Amino acid sequence: MTDKPPMDSPIRLHKQLAAIWDTPPGWGRLSAVNHTILGKRFMIAAFVFFAIGGLLAMLIRVQIATSGTAFVGPDVYAQIFTMHGTVMMFLFAIPMFEGLAIYLLPKILGTRDLAFPRLTAYGFWCYVFGGSILIVAMLAGVAPNSGWFMYTPLSSSTYTPGINADVWLLGITFVEISAMSAAIEITVSILKLRAPHMSIERMPIMAWYLLITALMMLFGFPPLILGSILLELERAFDLPFFDPTRGGDSLLWQHLFWLFGHPEVYIIFLPAAGAVSMMIPTFARHELVGYRSVIVAVIAVAFLSFGLWVHHMFTVGIPHLALAFFSAASGLVAIPTAVQIFAWIATLAQGRPRYDVPMLYLGGFFVIFILGGLTGVMLAMVPFNWQAHDTHFVVAHLHYVLVGGFVFPMMAAIYYWLPHMTGRLSDHRLSVPAFWLIFGGFNVTFFLMHLTGLLGMPRRVATYPAEAGWDWLNLLSSVGSFLMTIGFALFVMDLVVQVRFGKPFRRNPWHARTLEWAMPTPPPSYAFASLPKVTDRADRIDADSEAAALAAGRGYLGQARNGWQEILDVDMSSGRPLAIVVLPRRTYKPLVSGLLTGCFVLCLLFKFYWLSLLFLAFAIASLLAWSAGTGLKEDMGDLPIGHGEMAPTHWESDRPPSWWAMALACSADATLYASLLFGALFLWLVAPGWPPETVAGPAIAPVIVAAIAVVLAAMAGRRAVSALQQQVAPKLWLLTAGLAQLVASLAFGFMAAQVPEPTSHAQQATLFVILAYGGIRAAIGVLLAGFGLWRNHAGYLSARRSLDLRIGRIWHDYSCATGIVGLMAAMLLAYLAGNVEAPR
Amino acid sequence: MNRHGVMLTAGFAVWASAFVLLYAMLSVGCRFGWHEMAFAGTSLQRVQLAVILLVHVAAGAAIVWMLGGQGNRADGTAIFMRRAGYAAALAALASTLFSFGGVFFLSTCH
Repeated sequence: MTDKPPMDSPIRLHKQLAAIWDTPPGWGRLSAVNHTILGKRFMIAAFVFFAIGGLLAMLIRVQIATSGTAFVGPDVYAQIFTMHGTVMMFLFAIPMFEGLAIYLLPKILGTRDLAFPRLTAYGFWCYVFGGSILIVAMLAGVAPNSGWFMYTPLSSSTYTPGINADVWLLGITFVEISAMSAAIEITVSILKLRAPHMSIERMPIMAWYLLITALMMLFGFPPLILGSILLELERAFDLPFFDPTRGGDSLLWQHLFWLFGHPEVYIIFLPAAGAVSMMIPTFARHELVGYRSVIVAVIAVAFLSFGLWVHHMFTVGIPHLALAFFSAASGLVAIPTAVQIFAWIATLAQGRPRYDVPMLYLGGFFVIFILGGLTGVMLAMVPFNWQAHDTHFVVAHLHYVLVGGFVFPMMAAIYYWLPHMTGRLSDHRLSVPAFWLIFGGFNVTFFLMHLTGLLGMPRRVATYPAEAGWDWLNLLSSVGSFLMTIGFALFVMDLVVQVRFGKPFRRNPWHARTLEWAMPTPPPSYAFASLPKVTDRADRIDADSEAAALAAGRGYLGQARNGWQEILDVDMSSGRPLAIVVLPRRTYKPLVSGLLTGCFVLCLLFKFYWLSLLFLAFAIASLLAWSAGTGLKEDMGDLPIGHGEMAPTHWESDRPPSWWAMALACSADATLYASLLFGALFLWLVAPGWPPETVAGPAIAPVIVAAIAVVLAAMAGRRAVSALQQQVAPKLWLLTAGLAQLVASLAFGFMAAQVPEPTSHAQQATLFVILAYGGIRAAIGVLLAGFGLWRNHAGYLSARRSLDLRIGRIWHDYSCATGIVGLMAAMLLAYLAGNVEAPR
Repeated sequence: MNRHGVMLTAGFAVWASAFVLLYAMLSVGCRFGWHEMAFAGTSLQRVQLAVILLVHVAAGAAIVWMLGGQGNRADGTAIFMRRAGYAAALAALASTLFSFGGVFFLSTCH
């Protein structure tokens, strides 16, 4: 903070920045793209869904409080428990962590916003609209009713003929747009938008947790999205991916679901653990012990969590050696988790801990999560798992893990960071009794459920006979659940009291040493008036003195320029400033795109397929329209960024955040495609009913045409970039790329259309999807080539400003590689199905 | 960062590769009856699984050995990432042996 102060006073700088960054009141609120606003909206919406999920839990506990209850019938009960799980997992846990990450991440990284503010807003609208579809369906009595993991064949059209399962498949996929967009945004923001000179080993520990979680989401969610698409295709168009009578296999659904589903547990837990790792050092008054060990542990958890999904499927008849692989990984994952717990305990032991309410909730986290971890190790052991499978013991275990590992840390986090959001402190009169009611009620509810499970009570039964002897345990569980609910009601009341009547404070009430406290509270829309230069670990900040210097504009970008929302793009490792990222300002475009996407989903839900294509086109057009007005029409060169340093705008830099976002999007898509190919091979190898009577395969001529076209498109995409960089018009090359992608798209489409009767057998169905998917990717290539032509025509491109074409080049290269792989896979599958018959 | 990212994740990438290959080839072998085909004093199934595991153990050990060196001692970030990568690679190697050691002695297809 040694740079010469700028001419503006802190107040004048505040006014100038606020004029650029603020969101207007009234209807203007719908145009918000600011991370502080959207982070809070995500969290509030998640809490609303949590309340709905909690209400459903109460209904469950009423229904099974005693034997023979006739409170609701089995049909309604199936909807209730399905929606409880679905709401809590997809509409509460993930969005809650996303909201906290969106709110906090720029602040702990020392920057002003996330990489793609409009994407944040679009994700929020997709989340709210998708969640609303599910809730409205529930109110209409057509909620999903096949369990939150939607096992086939129960969820197939034969056994669930209404739209209940479609609501889940389409609604959740809609919501997952928000999860995928958040994953890309969080990853790019952490890697590229940190405060200047915050090298990777100086990052606050929560940034590590969120980075690893976001990467897990990028590779964990695509299998679920693929599974949902395939199941919806089966339900809507009778493509038999999961139908064993036609070469499908319901186990394929289980693999795809749990390949997402178990990492999901850690995707929920790790951000909460990141918050714990921020709070404990503050209250221990000692920096986190074992910072590097914790990072290694989190990496180990991330990888191991992808190798234990089959412990949900131990009873389906998989070879014992495979069970041993998954059992070992399931047990192993406890070790890096324990490393983190020991690091937190060591931090408390090394420091001088002081008590406050967040610590009380963290105590609850320790007790409950460790108990859940221990029962997790029990369930990782195959013989025990076989005994306890699908009983209430598993229900108890998963609630100990998820409530202990997520809800309690999140409540601690709310008490810790709510003063940051509101500028007010709690008097904590309600928070302590609320804790004991929640903690006590939780343990009464779920500890006893271990016993009901061990006594043999299965999950998801709407009622049970009195002779089973489970009455008194269930009744006590239900009493405990109502105590817990009273506790949550008190918790909410406490938050309301704090927000409305809490005592104002000036700054940093916890004496924390991280950057989010080096700003006014509640935070201004621009977060930091100027960006800090970080020269030590970011959890060793003197927040009070740093805040004053930053507010005075003595950091980077301590000025308002051109009405731009400016942040800095830095080198991923060293944190050296590379470019000025000019963020888009408030706009209604994400809302419009979200609405159009919602209309598309609703059309699919009500089977207006032709109309859905129209809304799909509108939605894509609206997304493309985001770029209108963004960019430069002349080269700006390097601009001053403070501290005597210069940097170009991101449009003139080498690999800004948007470049990485495209690369990550391709990685996620590649995961989805690899899952599809895995699924096709799995069916050939394992599913009954193979080989099909008629083996389908692509004709060689269109295969050659498609292969040549995707290669040509990739080459033309590359030549367009190099031509532009040599100050030669790229128009011809872009036209070539677009036409080649069009030919490829038509060739793939032709081959897909030639597949005989895709509904007759899974071989034809998978072949159809593999080829159609290649066509869709090529069609996106057409759009991107056209987009490049438009940007060139509109004057946004120059030798220095070639970013748009370089992003397009990534896609052309990617669609070339996956197109070739897809063609080879299509031919290989046809060969295997026709010539290599596996003994069954 | 790309280099540093590789350092951090190389060990567990080998673990993941071992996992995918062993699980896939176990399924293939069981389907085609390789566990009933005698080979090198044991079954073809066990031999192919053992080879896959040993190749991955060798790769994991090589990564541990490479990251155990000094590297660039002037660059704080590089030192940090190398040490973290070394610890992760050691953990991954141990995980590989623990997770998949059963290929040497457990029944493969029952």
